[in-house]
Amino acid sequence: MSTTSTLLSPELLARLEKMELLSRKIFRGRMKGERRSRRKGQSVEFADFRNYVPGDDLRFIDWNTYARLERLFLKLFLEEEDLHFYALIDASASMGFGDPTKLRYAQQLAAALGFVGLIRGDRVKIESLGQRPTAPSPVFRGRRSMWRMFDHVESIVPGEQVSLASGIKNFCLRNSGKGIVVLLTDLMDKAGYEPALRYLLAQRMDVYIVQILSAEELDPELNGDLRLVDCEDGDETEVTVTAPLLKRYRKTLNAFVESAREFCTRRGMVYLLANNTVPLDDMITDYLARRGLVR
Amino acid sequence: MWPTWVNMLAWWQWAVLLAVPPAIISLYFLKLRRRPVEVPSTYLWSRTVEDLHVNSIWQRLRRNLLLLLQLLLVLLLILALLRPAWRGHKLIGHRFVFLIDNSASMKATDVEPSRLDDAKHRASALVDNMASGDVAMIVSFADTARVEQMLTGNRAALRRAIQGIQPTDRPTSLVEALKVAAAQARPGETSGASVDEKETDARPADTPPATAYILSDGKFASVGESSLGNLKPVFLPVGGESPANVAIVAFQTRRQEKQENRLAAFAQIKNFGDKKVHVEVTLRLDGELNNADRASIGPGETQNLAFDVGEVDSGVLELIVRHRDCLAADDRAWVAVNAPRPAEILLVTPGNQPLELALGTRSVDKLAHVSVKPPLFLKTRDYGAAALDGFYDLVIYDRCRPDAMPQANTFFIGNVPLGDRWTLGPRTDAPQIIDVDAAHPIMQWLALDDVLIWEGRSIGAPPGASTLIDGDSGPLLAIAPREAFQDAALGFLLVDLEGGEPVSRTNWPIRASFPMFVFNTVSYLGGAAADVGNQSVRPGQPVVLDVEGPRESVTVTGPDGQATRPSPVRPGQYQFSATDRLGTYTVRSGKTLVSRFAVNLFDRNESDLAPRKTFDAGGEKIAGESGWEAARREIWRPLLLLGLVVLIVEWLLYTRRVST
Repeated sequence: MSTTSTLLSPELLARLEKMELLSRKIFRGRMKGERRSRRKGQSVEFADFRNYVPGDDLRFIDWNTYARLERLFLKLFLEEEDLHFYALIDASASMGFGDPTKLRYAQQLAAALGFVGLIRGDRVKIESLGQRPTAPSPVFRGRRSMWRMFDHVESIVPGEQVSLASGIKNFCLRNSGKGIVVLLTDLMDKAGYEPALRYLLAQRMDVYIVQILSAEELDPELNGDLRLVDCEDGDETEVTVTAPLLKRYRKTLNAFVESAREFCTRRGMVYLLANNTVPLDDMITDYLARRGLVR
Repeated sequence: MWPTWVNMLAWWQWAVLLAVPPAIISLYFLKLRRRPVEVPSTYLWSRTVEDLHVNSIWQRLRRNLLLLLQLLLVLLLILALLRPAWRGHKLIGHRFVFLIDNSASMKATDVEPSRLDDAKHRASALVDNMASGDVAMIVSFADTARVEQMLTGNRAALRRAIQGIQPTDRPTSLVEALKVAAAQARPGETSGASVDEKETDARPADTPPATAYILSDGKFASVGESSLGNLKPVFLPVGGESPANVAIVAFQTRRQEKQENRLAAFAQIKNFGDKKVHVEVTLRLDGELNNADRASIGPGETQNLAFDVGEVDSGVLELIVRHRDCLAADDRAWVAVNAPRPAEILLVTPGNQPLELALGTRSVDKLAHVSVKPPLFLKTRDYGAAALDGFYDLVIYDRCRPDAMPQANTFFIGNVPLGDRWTLGPRTDAPQIIDVDAAHPIMQWLALDDVLIWEGRSIGAPPGASTLIDGDSGPLLAIAPREAFQDAALGFLLVDLEGGEPVSRTNWPIRASFPMFVFNTVSYLGGAAADVGNQSVRPGQPVVLDVEGPRESVTVTGPDGQATRPSPVRPGQYQFSATDRLGTYTVRSGKTLVSRFAVNLFDRNESDLAPRKTFDAGGEKIAGESGWEAARREIWRPLLLLGLVVLIVEWLLYTRRVST
């Protein structure tokens, strides 16, 4: 497969082809898909065994076989339904910072996950928070939609004037179905991220929150007497950056990240902090795989 | 105790300095020009800063720590400029007299840099301790006292006066100083406009006594109560414990008895220290080494040294004791050797062979140059000019009288000097000599028992005269002062002319006492014995100089090379009193060298440097306040150091805040 996409490198695409999206929840798909489902009832059909490899879910181990053979095997089930995969990108002005920009990083991440979904025949929908309700974004399915999806992702530009809460609310109104939703944002909303995330909870979706922060947010290299201007609302904060103040900033940041993580974990959402300097490759194959989103 | 302050700056300088803290504060209150930086979100930053606002007072302090440190620094600088000091001593009363000894012993260097400097320093410290409204005067004293500054409250003037005191080589006399101080410190003697008029007017009638701070090493005699007057003395002794000093206490020359042209020098050197010393003594003649010797002198002992100088007609002998001690002034001594100047004697006589013979002896010849003239010479112009100019030292009028008394000593034979106070009694036959005043230099060693007088007249001398030979009918020889001169009159003739032939009127000329009398008269009235050069002059002592020549051309050059004109006492005689410096003084008339004299310390009291701790004043023992600390304990140095520490802390804080 040849590609000239700047979003994802061919090497990454090659690796992504071997992956699949996982859902911890059981969804009823609208169409037949390639997805195996653990859905109970008549539709569940045993397919095969395979060797256990570290990282597999222990719950799928066939303990009877283990008792007999003293070897670990995983039971594979046939999945009859497809999966809805949503990637929700925060395209506010604040996402335009960093090198690469946080938005770019979010786009790459969304494209990579979307690509995995396309390969496995899932329904993939990638939206930005500022997507107008009247102009719903297209739904992609199948490998041939790959380029369309990439183009769509590339068309997202930073500078959308929409709050996290209203963006998610709109998203929830438009997409009532179940599935996996990955929210790619920096969570920097003055009104707070909690109400926004509660909307997602109400959808009973498998929610992944990826908080993307740039290096200058994590470890600011500021100095002296400054007037900090918020790029979104133009709010100004006067600070005299000193070593104690920076220390205090890091403390605040850690508290913020920790509170977000706790908020998510308590509510069954998966939280992940992403740094725009971590290569995308590692991000997907290591971090996201460890969180159980991909395999 | 509260610190005292010294104002170091003028009012406008203060104004500038005091404007600094408000300037610093206003700079801090000015809106800081902050660099705008766009950030993704101020969300976290505002939360961070919000946190800071929670404990705002401490945070504000923290934020303004640099400001506070800068203000502290400026405050410390201002404090340092005010020169705060803890008062070392409370002065007694409100009127002070600082008596500062500047005698020779105060030149001693046993306290650094010298006793006088130490005294001056302590006096300055006392002035610094004066409260406002206090007045003081400064008196420097050696054997004479000098008011350096009248009573004033102006400390700058007082300090200036103290700094202006110069050391002298004179001995010490406290009585003089106390007299001057007591007289000057009387109420109403305040000088200068520096003291408020009102203050002077509102003076109470009963003035409390002024306190006299005596800064001296105590080389003075005890004083009586009367000299203290209205002063309350406080003695502040100056000087270290048992300082070492070796001094020349005497230095003289003498012609050797057998070889009159050879000169011998004698010196006395005393060790005033408490350790045995080995000194090297060198004798220089006109600057060139003449002789040298070594001496070992035990503590408190005196060593006599004699030198054979050799054949010297005139010159300057200098004796130097090489020894490291505290007082340099007494390590050198000088003697001026002058060529002897014969006295000029005029004998006016119609003919007096015995007298002429007596004046022609070898002994008289050495002392004087005698010229013999007839009475007619008195009428000539030559005599008139010479007599009025003081050319003669002694004029002998034998059986004649001048028209006016000459500017010279006189000796009248058979007559009395001019003036109504001298009278001549009636002629008596064979007057008897009853009494002779053997104590007078003229009558020394004379035995007149075998002298017979044929005929004579008694002499009525003026008051103040002394009768040298008393006869049964009245004085036969009397001497009386006239201004700077002495007049002697003899009541009987030695020889007389009778029909053109000389006739003896007494047998005295053929007695052994006669040439002796003539020699005594010549040496006493002729003034030949007064050779000032061989005598040592004490510093400050006036010297009488005999110099001929026009008044304008006489100069005295001191050891420092400074030429001064002595003040004339009478024609040919001058008084010179600027003998403050040690060394040799040269007297010149025009360009010709007339004589030289030396000024030496030669004062055992001044050379003995052991400081005195007490002295008697009016029967009361006044103890030196030795453990007394006059110096202001200035604390501007620690203040500046503290300022430096503050500066360093500020710098550290700044760099810590800026660096991340």
